[in-house]
Amino acid sequence: MTFFTIVLRSLTRRPVRTCLTLVGISIGIAAVVTLVGLASGYEKGIGKQLDAVGIDVVVSNMSGGLMPKSFNESLEQKVAALPRVAETTSVLMRMMSVEEAPIMMISGREWGGFAWSGMKILNGRMPKDGSEKAVVLGTLAAEALKKKVGDTVQIEVEELTVVGIADGRSMVENGTIFLSLGVMQEVTGDIGKINFVDIRVPPNTSKEEIDLLCRDIKGIFPEGRAMVASEVVGSSQGFRVVRAMSWSTSLLAIIVGVLGVMNTMLMTVFERTHEIGILLALGWRRRRIVSMVLCESALLGMLGGLVGVGLGVLGLISLGSSPGIRGFIEPDLNPRLLLISIAIAVVVGVISGLYPAWRSSRLTPSLALQS
Amino acid sequence: MPVAATTPLGELISPPGELIYQAIGLKKQFDNGKVVALRGLDLEIRKGEFVAIVGQSGCGKSTLLQMLGSLDKPSAGTLNYRGRSIPDLPDPAAYRALEIGFVFQAFHLLPTFTVLENVQMPMFGGKLSRSQRKARAVELLESVGLGHRLNHYPSELSGGERQRVAIARGLANEPAVVLADEPTGNLDSESALQIIDLLLDLHRKLRVTLVLVTHDPSVAARASRIIRMKDGRVISDQPAAAH
Repeated sequence: MTFFTIVLRSLTRRPVRTCLTLVGISIGIAAVVTLVGLASGYEKGIGKQLDAVGIDVVVSNMSGGLMPKSFNESLEQKVAALPRVAETTSVLMRMMSVEEAPIMMISGREWGGFAWSGMKILNGRMPKDGSEKAVVLGTLAAEALKKKVGDTVQIEVEELTVVGIADGRSMVENGTIFLSLGVMQEVTGDIGKINFVDIRVPPNTSKEEIDLLCRDIKGIFPEGRAMVASEVVGSSQGFRVVRAMSWSTSLLAIIVGVLGVMNTMLMTVFERTHEIGILLALGWRRRRIVSMVLCESALLGMLGGLVGVGLGVLGLISLGSSPGIRGFIEPDLNPRLLLISIAIAVVVGVISGLYPAWRSSRLTPSLALQS
Repeated sequence: MPVAATTPLGELISPPGELIYQAIGLKKQFDNGKVVALRGLDLEIRKGEFVAIVGQSGCGKSTLLQMLGSLDKPSAGTLNYRGRSIPDLPDPAAYRALEIGFVFQAFHLLPTFTVLENVQMPMFGGKLSRSQRKARAVELLESVGLGHRLNHYPSELSGGERQRVAIARGLANEPAVVLADEPTGNLDSESALQIIDLLLDLHRKLRVTLVLVTHDPSVAARASRIIRMKDGRVISDQPAAAH
């Protein structure tokens, strides 16, 4: 028998209570893994999309929500005229509910622009021209909407024909509905408006030159910003709100977990007052009693953390494949996040055990024995 | 070297051993003086003695035993163990773990641990390795006749067996003193007899000083010295009549 046997025995003596406490902590930890994983999955997904399309710099006005505010399409010409710009294309992007799908990315892309060139048509064809009332679906979007070539998709009040299904080479692209910018502006009523100018710079342009370009753009578009593709999502205010919300929701769940563990540990200390008296009478040091209680609560935390990470991963995988999110967010099973979550759980355990441990160390042996 | 000799009349007399416990004017009050358990008690117990402390319920005998075991602190007076003040011991846990062994009326075994594990409890923090602890516990349990009950839980044992486990546990760290508080109080007369025989046997073999609180005259009669208490004081202190 070791000290660990003693710690473990007190958790197994009331299996139902221990399990319920574990569930309490694990919900908090599962919330961290799922919500934070979804948020960072969203960030990663957008990054991959920009990469797949081959965008180097994005010009937008990110001050609004998750989707940037729209601005006049004439900006594109001004940006195209700047030095160090190889190619530009305009995009009007919206997130909206389409038929059965609760939320979907719809991307109106300037006809003939480079944003179309990364797509590989798997089925059907591209739109004939910039004014054909047609859409191309990413593979996951087609799956979510249950559409095939020849079907129609209703966007706002317009019925548009699905002319092709394409592989966009990134999860977000595959979850998107594509149409030409002109049709998109017409359908959504945003005539003359866009909300992105995507830029390609000449090959081998240095980071400093790109920074210079971004500064030039700021000069002609003060209310917006030009950003290197890799920084787009992290600097979006909407994304920051999502990240803050996912952490604060998780924090709330963790606090509930802390109270649960604290309650359990206080109960075990109270109901074991007599036994703690016996241990004191047998010559156990108060320090050993304290570390016994703390080890119990830390172990409880760690087990809860492991269960929570398991639940969180399951939650993330099932959310990732649910129709609302599939193709929109790529769940991020980052090992660092999983380790952080377990560490949080252990710290939660120790913190919850502090007060009960202190209580247990203050017992007078003779009184504890009588209880 | 003989440790005991008989007078021509056949009485057992012990040579004056080392002074183990010394109490001078020992007082204990509870509830801010509303309850007085000890009212100035004087006492000396020497090494190798078997002392029975007897008296009515509430005379303060169990309180005295708790003071001797440093489970509670006196309100006033002096209480020494081998010349050192018990309430001022720098490490009372070490005193309880290494110098004394407790045996209680209600056994006080830990219900979720086996007999073998219960006996190992006082050995934590000592120098023994895991396997040495186990071997020592097995040895102790065999010496009290429970070698066949090692992996039973306390609830599966009879009262007499439980008290044997408690005695084995009390001897875990080879203490100089065993403090027994009504060790036969919860037992039937046959088990009580066996427990007293066991304690007496250990007292003789291991030369431990045995301080036993009881209100059973037949138990007290087995001791070498009987201290009678009343109202928190010693009223008589004499060798047992028959031994």
